[in-house]
Amino acid sequence: MRVYEVFLKKDGKDEFRHAGSIEAANDELALLLARENYARRAEGDRMWIVDRDDIVVGDDEFVAPNADKPHRHNDGRRVAERRRAQREDRGSTR
Amino acid sequence: MTTVDVAPEVYGYLLALADDEHLMGQQHTEWIGVAPFLEEDMALASIGQDELGHAALLYVLLAGDDDRAVDALALGRDPADYRSCHLVEASGGGWAFALVRHWFHDTAEELRWGLLAGSTLTEVADLVGLVEREERYHRRHANALLDALLDVPDAAARIGEAVAELLPLAVAQFEAPAGEAAVVAAGVAARPLADLLPEWRHQVVERFGAVDWEGLATVDQGGRTRRHADFGPLMARMREVYDLDPAAVW
Repeated sequence: MRVYEVFLKKDGKDEFRHAGSIEAANDELALLLARENYARRAEGDRMWIVDRDDIVVGDDEFVAPNADKPHRHNDGRRVAERRRAQREDRGSTR
Repeated sequence: MTTVDVAPEVYGYLLALADDEHLMGQQHTEWIGVAPFLEEDMALASIGQDELGHAALLYVLLAGDDDRAVDALALGRDPADYRSCHLVEASGGGWAFALVRHWFHDTAEELRWGLLAGSTLTEVADLVGLVEREERYHRRHANALLDALLDVPDAAARIGEAVAELLPLAVAQFEAPAGEAAVVAAGVAARPLADLLPEWRHQVVERFGAVDWEGLATVDQGGRTRRHADFGPLMARMREVYDLDPAAVW
């Protein structure tokens, strides 16, 4: 048996989204069973199924260290705080 | 949806198709919870729902929009007034039985509905596109399972036994419903059901290998008026809720 990841997309601009996984003996059975188990209530108009073994995986070791670099998170909060402080400062001296 | 006002022969002909779909749908849905694996459990029950849907489309044509009239037609008749074939009435059997019957039924249904595509009864012709799209998918589902299982010796042996057991009943799907000649003459159906047999036999041989067609046991359905021994218990299961209150509106 093989394990497949199932992705569904509605017609229109929405992207493909992960719907779940399915275990099946081959591609054709995986497609048929995924259709019944994930799309029988018209959850999508298109389907991708991907054999999990065919997915190129970036593991924790490799990906996670980037979570530890706050200087790369430019959300503008510090700049906004400084500008607000300057504005308030000017207001109080006027 | 309008009710069609048709000759008794046409009524009986459409009823035969509807009853086959109805009982087949019921038989499939009885696998919910006990199919060999969860995903298939869902798939077969969903296919059963499609079949019930096809039956409902025809029952509504014959009985009108009133829910109680449709229920009475679907569930309330005397056994002798049903027009189903023995293949869909027979119960029991294991998973191989269910799978082979699924294939036998859906390949035959696809051909039978094809006879109605150009029907002079436009209300029926209008249903063919929807039904055929679903039947094609049903056949694909049955074929995918058979492709996988026929490669496994133990499974192939069980499937072979089911084929031998069910073939006589499956051939009887093509028995002419009473009054078929009038139905064809009126252009409601393009040709007699028997005309479909060579094509269907060809598909069976392609799928399961050589068959001794002449040596098959014959099944006496009496023009679809005689019920299989399993019909009574099957109908009792189907009527379990209906009998609590036949006048209930859902």
